[in-house]
Amino acid sequence: MNKKIFILGGGQSALYAAREIRKNNRDAEITILGEEKFIPYERPPLSKDFLLNKRIDEDLYFCSKETLEEEKINYLNTIIIKVDFENNILVSEDNKQYTYDTLLISTGSKNRKLIINSEVDDEIFYLRNLEEAKNIKEKALGKKNILIIGGGFIGLEIASSFSQLNKNISLVEVGNQLMGRIIPNQIADLVKQFHENEGNKIILNKTISEITKINEKYKILLNDNTEIISDLIIAGIGSIPNVGLFENTKLKLDNGIVTNEFCETNIKNVYASGDVSNFYHPLYAKYMRLESYQHAQNHGLCAGKNISGIKTEYSSIPWMWSDQFNLNLQLTGICDDYDEIVERGKRIDDGIIHFFLKNKKIKGACGLGIAGKVGRDIRITSKLAEKNTIVDSSLLSDQSQKLNKLIQK
Amino acid sequence: MADENWIEVGSTDSIEEEDLIRFDHQDKTFCVYRLTDGFYATDGICTHEAVHLEDGLVMDDEIECPMHQGIFNIKSGEALSPPACDDLKTYPVKVDNDKIFIKIN
Ligand SMILES: Cc1cc2nc3c(=O)[nH]c(=O)nc-3n(C[C@H](O)[C@H](O)[C@H](O)COP(=O)(O)OP(=O)(O)OC[C@H]3O[C@@H](n4cnc5c(N)ncnc54)[C@H](O)[C@@H]3O)c2cc1C
Repeated sequence: MNKKIFILGGGQSALYAAREIRKNNRDAEITILGEEKFIPYERPPLSKDFLLNKRIDEDLYFCSKETLEEEKINYLNTIIIKVDFENNILVSEDNKQYTYDTLLISTGSKNRKLIINSEVDDEIFYLRNLEEAKNIKEKALGKKNILIIGGGFIGLEIASSFSQLNKNISLVEVGNQLMGRIIPNQIADLVKQFHENEGNKIILNKTISEITKINEKYKILLNDNTEIISDLIIAGIGSIPNVGLFENTKLKLDNGIVTNEFCETNIKNVYASGDVSNFYHPLYAKYMRLESYQHAQNHGLCAGKNISGIKTEYSSIPWMWSDQFNLNLQLTGICDDYDEIVERGKRIDDGIIHFFLKNKKIKGACGLGIAGKVGRDIRITSKLAEKNTIVDSSLLSDQSQKLNKLIQK
Repeated sequence: MADENWIEVGSTDSIEEEDLIRFDHQDKTFCVYRLTDGFYATDGICTHEAVHLEDGLVMDDEIECPMHQGIFNIKSGEALSPPACDDLKTYPVKVDNDKIFIKIN
């Protein structure tokens, strides 16, 4: 019998799962239901090369429409508004019903919204998808002063892109450092200095008290009464898992959809992957939710295998990057459970890495360098963390020695 | 007789095993690798975003880009893992008297 497999959500994780299922099962009916009018595309460039006009829509698709057709993967542009887990039915906004044998949920995450006052709330821009990236780009044309609310990765990347397009950037962050506590303070400071040297104004420890619109401009009042005048406001204040649909259903939720190491939810034949899933990581023996490119891909692949009947445990070491100006920041493993920090490198030009160790074993690392300078060592760290290897910290801290030997057989 | 298309890169001991060096010639840049079974060469710049692969990690027959972990097969140039999707150009390599040469054209 041809199994009907539906994937709810049309992003990266959905696509990788679909292609993996097809690889293992020639006969299944595979349908991706996505609310965006675009077939799955890469999001990382939206805040970087797409804003910088270095890449256009067509460059962002993971694969072409023709490839989807060849692989018999249907992409249906529709919004699902209800899931009936008792009868295996998905209901769309235009009242169509889809009956599944197996369901994968990859609805991703959505931006947290600011609530300031009703007059301006709808005029604050957010960046999550291609449509929003296009709107922001269009809106920024001819505008000079841009306020960015939130000093996380996406806010900083937008700041970097628009600064390279000669805009005046002010960025307001409520915390006392950029990019959250997970990033070592010293590295966050270096990123701040880099932005400031490029002319961006970075304001920490402040919140927005009031925004008023005067003609076509916005007057922003901070909690210390500082005033900023801006032509455009963009907020990047974090995201939340896209689970609204599943509230009050029997699907188990807790900071996303709870899944085990096989991408299975608490409901038989229902799986979840990517940003939306709070999954059990066997290596760390805890649940985690990740929002990263590599995770969306690998988790999708893993879900695809499990759906195809190839029981596969998900135990990838987390990894993500952020590009700002010509800086590349990378994070791997877990960086919040350590008893020792070892530092390697002193200058951004050569790359600076902080390794997080527990009982002499590498658990994670955060690196910052001019493009390409930290990647190899971060990758080596992932491999060491995966194997729980005991490492000599004097080797880690000595930049004159290549770390390759740590992973060679 | 010297063949003009073979360009000398350096001596064989200038590259450690399972490693690579960068080689620039005229306005082009390359990576020259030493794998367990010999020497290989590819274009120097990742096909995904303009970053040099000289700082990438060589593992078995693969080079991994240091920016976004795109992976290529060093011998065939094939892009093996996203975000890389376009293949990397490869070049013939020969060793003569402990010297490495690559054929660029
Ligand atoms: C601007 C930006 C920059 C980023 N940069 C980086 C980076 O530099 N490095 C990095 O590692 N990661 C980065 N990321 C994170 C990475 O892109 C995400 O983690 C990844 O896209 C998650 O994939 P996903 O498939 O889980 O979810 P998504 O890609 O979010 O896809 C989910 C899809 O489901 C759709 N959907 C949701 N609900 C419904 C419904 N009810 N009906 C139909 N469709 C629905 C959504 O519209 C969306 O298209 C970035 C993200 C953004 C937004």
